Amino acid sequence: MAEAPLISFEKVWKTYGEGEARVHALAGVDMSIERGDFVAIMGPSGSGKSTSMNIVGCLDAPTKGRYGFLGIDAGRLDRTRRAILRNLHIGFVFQGYNLLPRTTAAENVELPLIYRGMASGERRKLAMQALGEVGLEGREHHTPAELSGGQQQRVAIARAIVTRPTLLVADEPTGNLDTARSHEIMELMTRLNADYGLTIVMVTHEPDIAAYARRTIAFRDGQIASDTLRAEAA
Amino acid sequence: MLLETIRLALRSVRRNVLRSFLTLLGIVIGVAAVIAMLTIGSGTTAKVRSDISALGSNLLTVRSGRPPTPGQPPVRSNRPLEDKDVTALRAHLLGARAISGASQKTVTVVSGTESLSVSVTGSDTGYFDARNLAVIDGRLYSDAEIRSGANVCLVGETVRQQFFGSASPLGSTIRVGRMSCDIIGLLEPKGYTGFGQDQDNVVMMPLTTFQRRIAGNRNIETIYVAADDATPTSELQTRIEDIIRDTRRITADKEDDFNVRDMTQIADAMASATSTMTGMLSAVAGVSLLVGGIGIMNIMLVSVTERTREIGIRLAIGAHEKHILIQFLVEATVLSVLGGLIGIAIGLALAGAASLALSIPFAPSLAVVLMAVGFSALIGMVFGFFPALRGARLDPIEALRHE
Ligand SMILES: Nc1ncnc2c1ncn2[C@@H]1O[C@H](COP(=O)(O)OP(=O)(O)O)[C@@H](O)[C@H]1O
Ligand SMILES: [Mg+2]
Repeated sequence: MAEAPLISFEKVWKTYGEGEARVHALAGVDMSIERGDFVAIMGPSGSGKSTSMNIVGCLDAPTKGRYGFLGIDAGRLDRTRRAILRNLHIGFVFQGYNLLPRTTAAENVELPLIYRGMASGERRKLAMQALGEVGLEGREHHTPAELSGGQQQRVAIARAIVTRPTLLVADEPTGNLDTARSHEIMELMTRLNADYGLTIVMVTHEPDIAAYARRTIAFRDGQIASDTLRAEAA
Repeated sequence: MLLETIRLALRSVRRNVLRSFLTLLGIVIGVAAVIAMLTIGSGTTAKVRSDISALGSNLLTVRSGRPPTPGQPPVRSNRPLEDKDVTALRAHLLGARAISGASQKTVTVVSGTESLSVSVTGSDTGYFDARNLAVIDGRLYSDAEIRSGANVCLVGETVRQQFFGSASPLGSTIRVGRMSCDIIGLLEPKGYTGFGQDQDNVVMMPLTTFQRRIAGNRNIETIYVAADDATPTSELQTRIEDIIRDTRRITADKEDDFNVRDMTQIADAMASATSTMTGMLSAVAGVSLLVGGIGIMNIMLVSVTERTREIGIRLAIGAHEKHILIQFLVEATVLSVLGGLIGIAIGLALAGAASLALSIPFAPSLAVVLMAVGFSALIGMVFGFFPALRGARLDPIEALRHE
C-alpha cells in the first residue's frame, strides 16, 4: 500500500453563521497533497482559499468531513494538540509578515523554538542558521521597522523553517511586495522545496506567482473548480 | 523558560514606563502605607515596652486621689499618702519584692555659676530596687542618713555633665533649691523616655531630707510596690487596696480616695492602642491595594487587547494556551511586585524619617517586607488572571486578523 498523502480532505465542509446568514465557506471539498509537493491555491475573493488554508495549517477544524494530516485525523484534535502539531510540523508565512514589533529578527525566528522548550544557546544557533538560509546574515539584530518588506518576509520564512517543518503554509506571501521582491521570495521558496523537500501550500492571486508551483488548485464558491499540474511537470 | 518570560515582562513594562508607573501607584501607595505603619507601629511598641520596663518590671504605683473613671477628669484627693501607709504595707503586704515611698518636685539646682532645672526625688533605699535604678559611682544613702535627714544626694548623668563635665561629681556640693547637699553617688544613665523626658536629669535624696528641706511637709506622693516573681500584679493590687483602705479607715460604703496602678497594664494598653491604630490604617491600605489590583487588571486588559496580533502569532506557531496565560500572568506579577518593591522602599524611608522625628527605634522587619513582596505578587496573579485567561483563550485566526 502506498504511503498516505500528507494532506487529505474528505468531503470537508466549513460553515459560518446560522439560518439566513449561513455561509458555506467550503462545500464538500475532496483533495489530497503529497509530501514534497508545491501547490498554489487560486480563486476569486471569498471562494474559500483562506478557510482551506486555516484547516490545512491546523489552525481551524472542518465543520463536517475529515481532515487528515500525516495520517492523523487532525480535525478532531483539541486546541492544545493542534498547537503541538503546528509547532512540530507546520511553518506559516502571512501576507502581512506578522513579525513581533520591536523584536529583533533573531528573536522573531527563535520564537517557535521557545515553545519547544529549547535552551537559548541552541535556539540562537538555529535562528542564525535559518536567517543565513534566507540570505539575511548581518541583519540578525535588526527589528522589523529597520527592515524592508522583502527582508521582513524573509525573516518570516526563516521563522517558518527554523523548526524544520514538514509543511509550509503561505497565505498570499507576496501580496504586499513589488514584482522584483515577489520573484525573489518565490525563488527562495522554490529552493526550500527543492533542497529540503519542504511541502508548500500557497495562496496567490497572481498567475505568474502561481507558476512557481508544480500544481495549481482553483477554488470557486467553496469547491474545487480545477486542479492542474504545471505543463513541464505533467 | 520562566526566566525568559520574566525578561519579556520586564521589557514590556519598560516599553510603557509612564503607563506602568501610573498603574502601579495604587500598589505603591498601599504597600508604602502598610510598611511604614507596621514599622513605625512596632518601633513605638518596642519603645513603650522598654520605657515601662525601665520603670521597673511588675511595678505598681499608689497615689492619692480617686481612681480615674473613664470620661471623667481625675479627682485629686486632699488627703495625701503618709508614712503610716508605707509602714502598714511593709508590715502586712505579702508578695512584694520592694516597697518604697517617694516624692518628687522640679527644683532649680545651682553649682558655681551654672544652674539647671532638675527633677528631684526624695526616697528610701527600696526605691532603687523597685525602679531598677543603679549607682555606678559612689554609694547609696544609708539608713542612718535617711533617719536623720542628712544633706546628701545622688545625681544623674545630665546633672553631672552640666556641672562637672567629665569629672567625678563625688564629694562636691550643689545647691538644691534652698538647701545645699553633698554628692555621694552617680546614677546609671537611662536615656530618654518615649515621651522625650530626660531620665538622667535627676537628683535623688533621702525622703526625710526632701520632706523637710524641699517639700516642707510630711507627704508621700507615690508608693512604689514591685511584685515578686511568684505574685501576679493584679492580686498584689487587691491586697494593697485592702491594706490602704484599712490604714486610711475607709468604710465599706465609701469609695477609695487613692489609686493603685499597674505599669504592665498601662504598657499593654498602650501597645494594644498602637496595634488597633495600625490595624485600622492597614484596612485603609488594603483598600488602596484593592484599587491597585483593579489598576493592574485594567492595564493588563489593555495590554492583551493591544497585543492581540502578537498572541495570534504566538498561538499559530505553537504556543499553548498555558504559555500565553503564563506570559501575561508573569507580566502582571512582575508589574505588581515592582510596585511592591517601590512601595517597600518608600515605606521604609517614611518609617526611617518618622523614627528620627519621634525618637523611636527604627524597627524594619524582614518578615513584613517579605510578606509585602508576596502580597503584591499575589495581587498581580489574582488581578492578572482574568486578562491573561482572556488572552490565552483567543482564537488564533481571529487574533491574526486583528488590526
Ligand atoms: N470567520 C468567519 N465568519 C463568517 N464568515 C466567514 C468567516 N471566514 C470566512 N467567512 C466567509 O467564508 C467565505 C470564504 O472566505 P475565505 O476563505 O476567507 O475566502 P478567500 O480567502 O478565498 O477570499 C467568504 O464568504 C467569507 O465571507
Ligand atoms: Mg483570503
